[in-house]
Amino acid sequence: MKRLLKFFSSLRLTIVLLSFALLVVFFGTLDQVHLGIYEAQKRYFESWLALWFYPAEWPGGNSLQTFFIPLPGGFLLGILLIINLICAHFTHFRLSWQKIGIACIHTGLLFLIVSGFLTGMLQEESQMALDKGQAVRFSQNMRQAELVIIDKSDPYMDYVTSIPTSLLEERKTVTDPNLPFSLTTLHYYPNAELGLQAQNPEAVPTLATAGAGAKMGLVVFPQPLSRQDNVVNAQTAYITINTDEGPLGTWLVSSILDSDRFPPQQFDYQGKTYEIALRFKRTYYPFSLSLIEFTHERYPGTNVPKHFSSLVQLVNPEHSEDRQVLIYMNHPLRYSDYTFFQASFVPGGNTSILQVVKNPIRSLPYYAVLLVGLGLFFQFSTYLILFLKKRE
Amino acid sequence: MNKILNFFILAGALTLIGLGFLPPKISSKFDYTQFGALPVQHDGRIKPIDTVARNTLLQLSGKQVVVVREHGTIHPTTWFMEMTMFPESAHNYPVFRIDNPEVLGLLGWTDEEGKYFSFNQLQPFFPTLAQQYQKMNPDPDNRSVFEQQLNKLYNALTLYTKTLYGLHPMGMLDSLTLEYASWVALIGPGMEAIRLQQEGKPFNEEALQQFAFVADHYLEVSKTSTLGIIPVATPEETWKNVGHSLLDAIPQGSVDTITQNYAQLISAYRQSEPDLFNTTLTETEILLAGHISLGKVKFEAFFNQFEPFYRSILLYIFAFVLILMGWLFQTQSLLRNAFYVLLLAFAVHTFGLAARTYIQARPPVTNLYSSAIFVGWGAVLFGLLLERFYRNGLGAAVATMVGSTTLVIAHHLGTSGDTLEQVRAVLDSNFWLSTHVVVVTLGYSAMFLAGALSIFGIFKSIFSRTLDKPFIQSCYSMIYGVICFATLFSFVGTMLGGIWADQSWGRFWGWDPKENGALLIVLWCAIMLHARWGKLVGAHGFMIMAVFGNIITSWSWFGTNMLSVGLHSYGFMDSAFVALLAFVLSQLAVMALGCVALYRSSSA
Repeated sequence: MKRLLKFFSSLRLTIVLLSFALLVVFFGTLDQVHLGIYEAQKRYFESWLALWFYPAEWPGGNSLQTFFIPLPGGFLLGILLIINLICAHFTHFRLSWQKIGIACIHTGLLFLIVSGFLTGMLQEESQMALDKGQAVRFSQNMRQAELVIIDKSDPYMDYVTSIPTSLLEERKTVTDPNLPFSLTTLHYYPNAELGLQAQNPEAVPTLATAGAGAKMGLVVFPQPLSRQDNVVNAQTAYITINTDEGPLGTWLVSSILDSDRFPPQQFDYQGKTYEIALRFKRTYYPFSLSLIEFTHERYPGTNVPKHFSSLVQLVNPEHSEDRQVLIYMNHPLRYSDYTFFQASFVPGGNTSILQVVKNPIRSLPYYAVLLVGLGLFFQFSTYLILFLKKRE
Repeated sequence: MNKILNFFILAGALTLIGLGFLPPKISSKFDYTQFGALPVQHDGRIKPIDTVARNTLLQLSGKQVVVVREHGTIHPTTWFMEMTMFPESAHNYPVFRIDNPEVLGLLGWTDEEGKYFSFNQLQPFFPTLAQQYQKMNPDPDNRSVFEQQLNKLYNALTLYTKTLYGLHPMGMLDSLTLEYASWVALIGPGMEAIRLQQEGKPFNEEALQQFAFVADHYLEVSKTSTLGIIPVATPEETWKNVGHSLLDAIPQGSVDTITQNYAQLISAYRQSEPDLFNTTLTETEILLAGHISLGKVKFEAFFNQFEPFYRSILLYIFAFVLILMGWLFQTQSLLRNAFYVLLLAFAVHTFGLAARTYIQARPPVTNLYSSAIFVGWGAVLFGLLLERFYRNGLGAAVATMVGSTTLVIAHHLGTSGDTLEQVRAVLDSNFWLSTHVVVVTLGYSAMFLAGALSIFGIFKSIFSRTLDKPFIQSCYSMIYGVICFATLFSFVGTMLGGIWADQSWGRFWGWDPKENGALLIVLWCAIMLHARWGKLVGAHGFMIMAVFGNIITSWSWFGTNMLSVGLHSYGFMDSAFVALLAFVLSQLAVMALGCVALYRSSSA
């Protein structure tokens, strides 16, 4: 036990762990070129073990591309560093005024690592596309899709049943107590393009027997999953609806067939009207935003963007709120638990895209950084003062 | 004897600075200095013509001057005057730089013909170039080196053409005033003919055709020219170029006085009438002064001519040589003089930095070029502080080394155009630019200073016969102190960046390459400090680690920017990458030397 404590509290372990952290960050950054920032983050910084492969396009890549370096992932390093830090404090440190800076730095770093873990687990990010004059009550997660069955029979309320795409991937039959039928996935494509059968006679004929896929003769062209940060994958699937009396039909659903541009795919069963759609996962809010004006200024005589801003109407009937908000770079709207940032726009100026973030521990890194900063400042200025005194 | 030496050293340094105040020697009766200081709007900013000339030349040839065999060196403003007033002669100046042997081969040349070619030399090959341009890969990320270089040449030719249309519509340059007058005369009958045509009545077809022909041409010019020469009511809005100004004659009934003045200048220049040229120039300046205050633009013209960073480089090198001589001959007075020269160099460097901040009305670091200038400035500042405490010439020596090197790097980074370019919307926050960016950059300064100190320490241990223990010890304590500050600045700066990111897009940490680069510096500093506290390294070990810090910092500074170009494109193998690689190799070599020193000191 003592030897174990000694091992976990040793300074050598700190140096080894920090050196591995250096390597993981370096190779993770290199791989961002191939994987994109999001995927590299998952593989290197939010993992237990990471493998870096020699890139094929580097010199000698043909023979070296099977060469790889195994590295401890960010989670493993983070946990080991926390253990190391805590053990070291219990074994080596006696609290004194000279050491208070170091204690500050290390506590702050502990908070920083912890807040990194928590942010990874708790932070929700999505996008809200605002068209001029249209009130929007939801945002979409462009990385996650969901299959939804919407019961539209109640004129005042839609009943939405959401099925995660992971169940579609496994091609299991899905049943739900709220639905009088079951769903079977015939095919699931993580990314695809759609085309018209008439224009692509050589393509595999559509499997759809109902809905837009059958009516328009839509065919599916499977695409490789893109990891580029600015490319959206279009999840697509063929879904068969089975009832006790036999199958109702097969529908083609895809996140490309969004409700803005295409009519909803509806069907009737047992006197009720349902809508089926595969769409980006939505988060609904008890308030709405609508775009009044989007402004895009450029520097005179150039195309260099100078300033973007969205003038938005915020309406919350619960608090009888109805006011204008200006959202622009470095000046987001913070409302209820969410923060709305100016992220992007669709050329033409009628659509503004906001990034919506919810992070319950948003302020933790601020305190952590303050603690480390003060600690470093205190520690190094005492060192400087001592040094100057010695020289005198 | 000493006093005389002191006098000559300081007089030399001051002369070097003083020369910057003199206008360059050009035997011309045309007042090109005043012409170069005329305000125009270009790339979103109001600037003197001299700046436009320099940046255009930089983009074409990578240099700010033109070297012509018969004429010697041509000043940027005079080149611009030739371009816009006497293109027949400017077309013979070799301003297009072509490095790529495949592009040269396409034109039937080899690199024996040199690197610089004139418009007239290229003209016969325009069909070939256009044909190859059509075939080019439309995706810029997947172009071959040849395609990239071809694209570069094509862009240079486009820029050249746009520059030609800067001050006139490329009509009859000898009779521009006449051309404008006849244009004004065409407007009335032309508009009348259009009105009649629209009403379905008989109209003068010839008047309509003549008017439409000229108007069409001016419309084309207004789309081509990127030089705003006529201020509008609020100077921040887009200025009118010569095409717009001539089209404005349709509702106004006359051509703008400033455009007419430029026409006058052109004809005076072509007919070799310097007196007329100079008086028209003064008139034009007075006219423009009615719209905007010229102080800033004139200051920028002076800043261009003074070339503070070029002067600082020379002074830093001068100081460095003095320090080496002071060490060699064991002369304290030389070291003291070196310190004064270094102070002068730092003052000029600071002036340049402050001047850029004033002209741009932005914090000092806004792009890679300005970061290089600031890294050097910070390192010299830290070095001066070290010298103030230790007084052994070491702090001053590394200050001169890092100061001059980073300014040379800045010079090479500044060849892509206007280094005072506008800040993109994402970065538009003076508060964060002046806190996060400045602090991170000071962290780079400290890292490079520690690295440079270590290189000195290692060289001293290797190349002196006896082990100079006190020197190594003081060197070690300097490096330790500097690394402590590097840690502080790098950490605080990186975290300020996190706070900025959280404020602007809700993500404290996004694992972006640049963030990761900054994190690497912080991690490396932490490793160094813990290794020292755990007594795992001594003086030489710490020095070797600090030299490796140079590699990490250069990766963070430049390497991460090269990644964004994408490994798929061969852009990764461009000259900057080769330079970075060479730097890394040189640092590895120094580290190997450090290992030898480490071995010798431990066996001694």
